[in-house]
Amino acid sequence: MDADIEAVRGKYLNLDFDENEFFIDPAITTEYARLCGETAERFLDPEHPDFQASPTYIASLSGRRMLPKDFPRFGIGMDAGKAIECFQPVRPGKPITGRSHIHDIFTKTGRSGRMVFVVMRIEFYDQDGNHLANADSRSVQREKSQ
Amino acid sequence: MTIATIGDVEFGIELPTFEPDTSLATGTRFADLISWDGVRFRDHEGAKKEGFQGAIIPGILNQGYLVAMIHNWAPPAEVVSVDTVFRAPVIADDSHSITGVVTDIDEEDGKVEIDLTVTNDKDETRVFGTAVIRLPT
Repeated sequence: MDADIEAVRGKYLNLDFDENEFFIDPAITTEYARLCGETAERFLDPEHPDFQASPTYIASLSGRRMLPKDFPRFGIGMDAGKAIECFQPVRPGKPITGRSHIHDIFTKTGRSGRMVFVVMRIEFYDQDGNHLANADSRSVQREKSQ
Repeated sequence: MTIATIGDVEFGIELPTFEPDTSLATGTRFADLISWDGVRFRDHEGAKKEGFQGAIIPGILNQGYLVAMIHNWAPPAEVVSVDTVFRAPVIADDSHSITGVVTDIDEEDGKVEIDLTVTNDKDETRVFGTAVIRLPT
């Protein structure tokens, strides 16, 4: 691994840089599910005994910062994908807490030069501290030609 | 065939093709709902000025289509993970379809892995992803 990336990993990986509280509004999660084309009633009917937010809903929740305040810039950034992991359902009507950290930093080198990938993860917890889900945002920065 | 348990799933089986509502009205409503600013989600001409072919569907909505497709096929499925790559924008008001194929079955853990692809009517891949779901045993 390149020495500069190794140094950035050592400085930033797995350190929380943001914390935010989100109220999960049932009116929003049901409309979210409807627009996605969900048909399962547990996502659409607030009276359903297993009512919950659509699994991807957490990906729409963003913290106050996408990266740590002094995180280096390698080039122009682009969205490289999103991922979610679900451990327990997110129940609308209650607040959850999201904590952000840099989960991974790696590079790929092609004909046009080096690209730096950064994975920012938000971990979501309920009021009892149960880990509900993770939402990863991958960005890629293409380095400017020297 | 609707899937109720992991015993109903066969390796390599294709999910029924899903045709998501990629209308501009839906994309705009979704962007408003999650408070995403940007003319690119709301107006074809404005999006073209930003370099897109037309207004685009928010990436997260594309991820939501994938999960809705899974639940249409297997209503009791619990999503364990979804990993999505946005290869190219999904242009609003263009027709798209989503295909899926079962690539792994772990009967012991009750987990099924599915590869999913969003294509437009020119058969160009716009989004692809992998989902892992858990089904009753």
